[in-house]
Amino acid sequence: MATVIIAALTLAASGCGDLSNDELNRGVESLSALAGQGQLVASGVARDATKATYARVMAKTLGEQADHEAEKLADATLEEAETGDQRRAAVAVAGEISSLLSELQTYPGDERHGALVQKHLEEAQEKADAIVAQLSGDAP
Amino acid sequence: MRTILKIALGIIAAIGGFLDIGDLVFTTQAGALYRYDLLWAVVLGVIGIAVYAEMSGRVAAVSGRPVFDVIRMRMGFGVGLLALVASTFVNLLTVAAELGGIAIVLELLFDALYSMFVIAGTLALVGIVALLPFGGIERFFGYGGLLLFVVVATVFHQDPNWGDVGRGFIPSLDSSTLYLYFVVGVFAAALMPYEVHFYSSGAIEEGWTEENLKENRLNAFLGYGIGGVLSVALIIASGYLFHPIGVEPNDLGTVALPMQGAFGETGLLLALGGMLFCVGGAAIDSSFAASYNLAQFLGWEWGRYKGPQKAPRFTASWLVFLLLGIAIAESGINPVEVTEYSVVFSVVALPLTYLPVLLIAGDRSFMDEYANGRIAGFLGWLYFAVILVLAVAAIPLLLATNGGGG
Amino acid sequence: MKGEGEIYVVHRLLDEQICDSEGRRVGRVDDVELRGDPPRITALLVGEGLYPRRLPRSLARLARRISGPERWGANALRIPWEEVDELSSTVKLKKKAEELGLGMGDDPERWIVRRLPWN
Repeated sequence: MATVIIAALTLAASGCGDLSNDELNRGVESLSALAGQGQLVASGVARDATKATYARVMAKTLGEQADHEAEKLADATLEEAETGDQRRAAVAVAGEISSLLSELQTYPGDERHGALVQKHLEEAQEKADAIVAQLSGDAP
Repeated sequence: MRTILKIALGIIAAIGGFLDIGDLVFTTQAGALYRYDLLWAVVLGVIGIAVYAEMSGRVAAVSGRPVFDVIRMRMGFGVGLLALVASTFVNLLTVAAELGGIAIVLELLFDALYSMFVIAGTLALVGIVALLPFGGIERFFGYGGLLLFVVVATVFHQDPNWGDVGRGFIPSLDSSTLYLYFVVGVFAAALMPYEVHFYSSGAIEEGWTEENLKENRLNAFLGYGIGGVLSVALIIASGYLFHPIGVEPNDLGTVALPMQGAFGETGLLLALGGMLFCVGGAAIDSSFAASYNLAQFLGWEWGRYKGPQKAPRFTASWLVFLLLGIAIAESGINPVEVTEYSVVFSVVALPLTYLPVLLIAGDRSFMDEYANGRIAGFLGWLYFAVILVLAVAAIPLLLATNGGGG
Repeated sequence: MKGEGEIYVVHRLLDEQICDSEGRRVGRVDDVELRGDPPRITALLVGEGLYPRRLPRSLARLARRISGPERWGANALRIPWEEVDELSSTVKLKKKAEELGLGMGDDPERWIVRRLPWN
């Protein structure tokens, strides 16, 4: 009996895979940060003020981080069911950021693409920031 | 005039390898997270390494004893062995992080496979060491590191709020564990022991005597001071650009973004080039330090100046450390993460290698009239206290902040 | 007092770097041999076989497994005190390393390093 209780408590305490409000917040903040950094790289491409190899490798690395974040957010079970909408929105934004960075990775020398990616990343960042605001508003 | 130039060039050579991947990462992250608030921690760390290096250099010049000779002689076999094990472990992580850092920068410049660059970069390092004499190696990486002055130019181009910058130099202690973690990290990245161990053995490689003591002091304070200026500039440049938009720098490439922003492709290339020389120099310094420490503790013949024929075990151990570094760098662990551990663990081990040097530097029976005066003694002991506090706090903070992840 | 002086000398000798007559570094003083009453230093002892002696009891057994038993002439060497020339920041010996069986680890004959391209 004691083993069962301990096991149950451990499981509850570890909350393995559970996404608390704070963690969801952190995740979306990371997305905002990635979008911000992506814009800097994209703006370099847009102004033809960077090296294509640098832009490509940076876009790839940032894209991988966005994918990783998307997976984390999508896979985890939510601690608070009310944040379900925000979580869905966050995963969507992560996907957008990831595909925008892919674009940049494919066209790291193209100024027009750079400008477009920069603009869309700015929009994605605003969406992410909005989600964070909603979550903070919801938090007790 | 010519002597001033000679001294200046000597100083610059001495600091090659001081700014390493740890500094680049921690300063950029510190700037992004806390803007200018951690500038004081950088300055504290830079003065610390200057104090430690000056003492080690002086001890080496006057008594012919490099750091691990001092450690074994003063602390005995048991404690010395502990210091050796700890220091070797840290140096190994550092070598791996630097080799990985070289590969990352090369990847950013030439977009070929990282795993290929780890090996190519290491081969290039071995080639440079084989072809150049000790002083030449120092100069190669030291002068190349000067490219990083583009960061200073970037700061002036950004023209930040200098009042805010100034306030960053006043120590402030936020209660957040993440802030404290970065205080430790920024300080520890500036006070990496491998650099001092390398410096003290370098003094003997170059045949220093009492006549070099002035040069030693200039190298320590002016040389690392210049490195400190670059670290300060990195924090400001990063803080100015990244803090307002909440960027989280988790990659080495991010370090160069402010320079790209200010000066376009030229700024980017200068920054990446400077980073390459800095990290490359650090790879040399840390791998040499690992071999120096091992050979000196065990009593083997050692030194680049002896050559592979006369110091075969020293040479072989250097190659082994590089191979192990390659293995870790190729294992798929992000060098930036390896760096976080190498920096944190290095400050934990620091008291063990710092105290013996401090004791001998103040001991007249070894140092005659060159023993620590009042100021050197005061600073020496003050920093020992600081280092002890940070050494104790480092791992708890690492765990509490989940490796700086917050 | 003579006794204390001896102890101080032993203390300072222990773990000191040993150099041969040509200035080659050939190991450290891993232990000191004392004989007689009052004890006199009769020899310096060098070698990995002596490391377990220098460690606290708990680690000594593990160390013994790694370095093996003391094999005199192999991993433990005896340098008679008469061979010591002078004591400064190193222990300087009167003879060359080979004559005393020291520094074999750095004997270039035993290493592939010789065949590396820059030699």
